[in-house]
Amino acid sequence: MSIQITLDGRTVAALPGETVLQVAQREGVSIPTLCHDPRLDPAAACRTCLVEVSGQRRLQPACAWKVSPGVAVTTQSETITRHRQVLLSMYLADHELDEEGLPITRGRTNDLREMAKTYGTPIRLEPSHPPRDSREDVNPYIGYDPATCILCARCTRYCDEVEAVSAITLKGRGSATTISTVAELSLLDTTCELCGGCIDTCPTGAMYEKKAPRAQGASPLEKVRSTCNFCGVGCQLDLNVQDGRIIKVTSPPAGTTVNDGNLCVKGRFAYDFVHHDERLKTPLIRRQDGQLHPCSWDEALDAAARGLLRVKERHGADSLGFVSSSRCTGEENYLVQKLSRAAFGTNNCHQCAAT
Amino acid sequence: MTNSIPEIRDAELLFVIGSNTTEAHPIIAMEMKRAVRRGAKLIVADPRAIWLTEIADLHLQLKPGTDVWLLNALAHVIIAEDLVDHAFIERHTENFQAVIDAVAEYTPEAAEQVTGVPANHIRTAARWYATTRHAGIYYTLGITEHTHGTDNVYGLANLVLMTGHLGRVSAGMNPLRGQNNVQGANDAGASPIYYPGYQRVDDPAAQARFEQAWGVPLSPEPGMNLNVMMKKLGAEIRGLYVMGEDIVLSEPNAGRVEEGMNGLDFVVVQDIFPNETMRFADVVLPAACFAEKDGVFTNSDRRVQRVRKAVEPPGQARPDWEILVELSRRCGYEMDYADPGEIYAEMAGLCDKFAGISHERIDREGGRQWPCPTPDHPGTPTLHGDGPLKGKATFQGIAYRPSAELPDPEYPLLLSTGRTLYHYNAATQTRRDAGPNAKQPESFIEMHPRDARRLGVVEGERVDVASRRGTVGAAIKLTRRVKPGCVWMPFHFSEDNVNRLTNDAGDSVTGTGEYKVCAVRVEPRAAAR
Repeated sequence: MSIQITLDGRTVAALPGETVLQVAQREGVSIPTLCHDPRLDPAAACRTCLVEVSGQRRLQPACAWKVSPGVAVTTQSETITRHRQVLLSMYLADHELDEEGLPITRGRTNDLREMAKTYGTPIRLEPSHPPRDSREDVNPYIGYDPATCILCARCTRYCDEVEAVSAITLKGRGSATTISTVAELSLLDTTCELCGGCIDTCPTGAMYEKKAPRAQGASPLEKVRSTCNFCGVGCQLDLNVQDGRIIKVTSPPAGTTVNDGNLCVKGRFAYDFVHHDERLKTPLIRRQDGQLHPCSWDEALDAAARGLLRVKERHGADSLGFVSSSRCTGEENYLVQKLSRAAFGTNNCHQCAAT
Repeated sequence: MTNSIPEIRDAELLFVIGSNTTEAHPIIAMEMKRAVRRGAKLIVADPRAIWLTEIADLHLQLKPGTDVWLLNALAHVIIAEDLVDHAFIERHTENFQAVIDAVAEYTPEAAEQVTGVPANHIRTAARWYATTRHAGIYYTLGITEHTHGTDNVYGLANLVLMTGHLGRVSAGMNPLRGQNNVQGANDAGASPIYYPGYQRVDDPAAQARFEQAWGVPLSPEPGMNLNVMMKKLGAEIRGLYVMGEDIVLSEPNAGRVEEGMNGLDFVVVQDIFPNETMRFADVVLPAACFAEKDGVFTNSDRRVQRVRKAVEPPGQARPDWEILVELSRRCGYEMDYADPGEIYAEMAGLCDKFAGISHERIDREGGRQWPCPTPDHPGTPTLHGDGPLKGKATFQGIAYRPSAELPDPEYPLLLSTGRTLYHYNAATQTRRDAGPNAKQPESFIEMHPRDARRLGVVEGERVDVASRRGTVGAAIKLTRRVKPGCVWMPFHFSEDNVNRLTNDAGDSVTGTGEYKVCAVRVEPRAAAR
């Protein structure tokens, strides 16, 4: 099954149908990309991944070029560097730059800026900033900032190919192209399901999360890997924590976990409940007046223990019921059934979603 | 799931039944969309024209509650046209004759009369499913939330077994779990008949094992399932401990649950937000949410994954496991754990299925899929994959039984309930976020325009929906997703709790309530006329 190709002078194994980029990534050879996302069909649009391929007169995009037996690929050469520098200079001419002469970030990650720093842009082209449409959208989650957009179409392709709702699209021609919706409707009024995959795939921060305050640089951002608490898919997510609060939820990179870099509207955005004012913050106990009143943990736990034991004494262990929760952890479910069986002596224990 | 979520993209055929996957399991739906893009055939069986039907090759739009007719008719075609996997049946199963006998009368033409699905569609679906090698069945509560839910599952299992679609990748029988840790809660023994790891409470060997581990005598009497418990509130059940479920909102026939709650001597509620059940509580214990504690969730494909503490709980709230340890101590039974890792280790030590899994291993290697009997076992993405099944699978012949309550002149519409993309169950979490509220601020009832014309109601109009058990409000949503005569409502809205309408008739085996079929009528509000 396996074929052999030459990669930067080394003989390596590859599978028929694999792209140069896939082989290179496996072999630890770095090829820069902007429009590539492993979840999407190759678009070969940004041209930053061009490589030399034996038998080909022109440079070819590593993301889309499929390997054939015996082919020799070169990923670094003077030609490639020159090409890449010209290309990046053209991107920069189309962008708002900061005092360092690099693309602005607006406090978000911008791969174009990092690439310009890495490869240099010795050629300066006349700046051209055509006005691109930018509208305020009332949807609470997803924003679009054309100033940092490179029109790689990862967002629209994700919307077509992965989420498959085709809510956003490229609009216009040439350098005036922008990202828009049908009839420029708010995303809330389109087929958009607010999954936020467009934000996740955007390489330059042009699609951005409205909820997340921009990093102020004051206290460091910590990412805590966890499992989504909504449905049963078990998506892995990174809780982005700053100053003791979750300020954003992101997905681990594509290809690493069961959700393959994807999240839905609930997993990515519905975390406000964690820090909501209405959370229960103290134990409560029902007093003579028939109302629930705040009390200490000691009083609440003693009352709970006493009340349950009294029911057992009067009516027997099987007059107690323990309702456990498929929202809680495995360990907590283990403890509820142990409490029910070992402490009280009844098997009347069931989790809430026993289907 | 017998198979794994990442295998879906390589399937050649997906048979999705009773699962509105794009709304209930959006990320699994993405894998299904990817499979279809790669050329897989998609058959959707659902009473509604759910989103997946837009990309489906075949939509079997059956009447709610007629699943057994559809499944038996599919089996009828597969047997009649001799598309069964004789070798698999011979080697791995027994009692096939029972299915042959049971489905003999279920011809596609007869099924069409009952289900409303054209006979030729049933034939096509049966042929496609039986003759495609990597063909997987995916289902969820549309199959199980019926009085004949267990029969539905048997009906699906019969199809899997007679075609040998088991023990190979991108095939199998795949229930998609509705909540983050349904699988894990079952695994951990939060069940009236099973100790952790599916060891029966009435099995003396299992009883001895747990008595030795826990140092106390244990009861061999199977307990009450939740459905039975809810019906015995205030009678046989006198005290209730409720952790992390709003039973008054979520259990069917809410009016009856409330009556029962009033008759209880003592109620403890442990949760993260105030809820409806708390109205009946004597003591309320504030708990930490998933972002504030450590532990594991087990997803639909049996993958044990870590939950990690990222932020502190608010005020005095504590992780549920800490509360349980402290409460148990005060009830006279000592529990002593330094952290959830120790609790998991105790459970894994008592269950062969999870013995190879630990917090440390997940931290090091990522989630593991059980069965995983030893620390060097890689886990099991595809069940029954390594050679013959253990023992033989038994076919179950099943016969159609109508749903417990069907429409009649007094309550002429058939109501099903379910989840939407934007909210989650009791919605204590999602209704506190801007996006879901912008998309779906209030309860609604999906109705076919033909029924709406007959009733004289219009899009957006507030109406009363009544069943024999209660009445709630909802806004009319006109759509051809539902068939005439059928209506559909979400269960997310506590102020218009749809479970005041639903029927608490339970499945004869599992007790699962019949959330998917009950009879209602829709009444325009006098004030609005």
